[in-house]
Amino acid sequence: MAAEWVARMDSGSWTEADEAALQTWLAADPRRQGLLLQTQAAWMLPDALREQEAAEVPAPANDTGGKWMRRGVLGGMIAASAAAIITVRGGLSRDADFVTRVGEIRRVPLDDGSIMTINSGSELKVSLSRRAREIQLLQGEAWFDVAKDAERPFIVASGPVRAKAVGTAFSVRKRDDGVEVLVTEGVVETWSDQDSSRRLTVTAGERAVIKEWALVHYREGDTPPVDRALAWRNGMIDLNGTTLREAADEFNRYNQRQIVIADPGLASEQFDGLFKLDDPEGFAETLKVTLPVAINTSDPHTIRVERSNESILVK
Amino acid sequence: MEDGTGPDLRATLERRRALAQWVAREIMPHEPRIRAWFVKRRIAHDVIDELVQDAYCRVVMLDTVDHIECAHAYFFSICRNLLARRLKRQQIAPFDAISEIESYRDTGTPTPEEQVATRMASERVRALLAKLPERCRRIVELRKIEGWSQREIADHLGITEKAVEKQVWVGVRAIRSGWDAIEREPEAAGDSRRVV
Repeated sequence: MAAEWVARMDSGSWTEADEAALQTWLAADPRRQGLLLQTQAAWMLPDALREQEAAEVPAPANDTGGKWMRRGVLGGMIAASAAAIITVRGGLSRDADFVTRVGEIRRVPLDDGSIMTINSGSELKVSLSRRAREIQLLQGEAWFDVAKDAERPFIVASGPVRAKAVGTAFSVRKRDDGVEVLVTEGVVETWSDQDSSRRLTVTAGERAVIKEWALVHYREGDTPPVDRALAWRNGMIDLNGTTLREAADEFNRYNQRQIVIADPGLASEQFDGLFKLDDPEGFAETLKVTLPVAINTSDPHTIRVERSNESILVK
Repeated sequence: MEDGTGPDLRATLERRRALAQWVAREIMPHEPRIRAWFVKRRIAHDVIDELVQDAYCRVVMLDTVDHIECAHAYFFSICRNLLARRLKRQQIAPFDAISEIESYRDTGTPTPEEQVATRMASERVRALLAKLPERCRRIVELRKIEGWSQREIADHLGITEKAVEKQVWVGVRAIRSGWDAIEREPEAAGDSRRVV
């Protein structure tokens, strides 16, 4: 019914009688006001989107120094990147086009319209040609929102592992024991160059781990949700039944000040929660609430989690 | 507006249109993501539909929207509050669930999904329009893409204005119900868990 009113208003011949009839209809149920707004907005959606798309200026992607945005500013309207042209930092790895330091997360628009969000401590090489788009992940992790282009497959390589997408969003992480592919949208095909006949098709919400001689495909529900593992893109760490050991490793990945678990007996305690990834001190403080621990911060380079002598009373 | 539309009526229509335009621009592209957040927390689809609709009712009540800086975050928090209130009233939800919903902090930093929301939304709208029956699609395109009035379309196609309005009505319904259903379609479930 709401759609009929919207179509009628759209006709350009709306009369007092129409308005009166609409008011009668609206008065019959308080929810109809919301329904009408929602319906009229849906009808305007195509125009609104077209205007916004036209207003979004593509980023200048030829200056590797200028398009790097630090976390915090990454709030990232693309226009801001032009104003934020800072210095090209020295001391980059010879081979890598993009390097993030520990604690740094960068969002990089590419020439083809794709966007890379690079996690802490990562190195990447980018090569965009007429036939193909190739990214080499030398170190670390990145999430890719890939612009659709059927003519030019988008391939991320990490060691012998390849992940190929046409238009989709996914992340690739180089771990010590293999390469992890997480898909947030669309479909990604992944394989290892050592045996390119064996390929995995990974769809949204799923992850795959490709080790030297093994391809492991995790379906949705087998492991914590993919978006939790990608909380870093938002400056957060999302713990979900994570052990203290793994949680400490996660924080240590982003921070110079390292969390040290002084008592191995604590390492397998599990946690839930959402934390800011640049605040290991805050995380350590919250540990005191649930565990019999003391936090020793006397050394500026470490945060030591020690077993507390005080016993916690169980109420 | 045409003849027969008085100044007061014109103002009413214009106000209504401006608010809908604001919603289309600032909130709707983010609606699939907001819905997905609730789906992930195992909230039933019909409950989500109601939450979203109730939240739009709140928006209609606003005297002005000028003070709202980040409309989709604002809208999202209305939805969360409505849900928390509903769960408390029902007294069947575990306390953890309620407190998680209440204590959830929108970090304010746009997620990468948010930053590409416009582009993703455009693709979705195009897909919805492509699914319309041929005749309806043609009329909706003339109206929305070419910007013709309903009367111009009627003249061009040699049909009555009423017939054009009918097809527009079908188009309106398709976009709206398609938008509601987005998070239920597997291919669009970018970051949503499905609850069957």
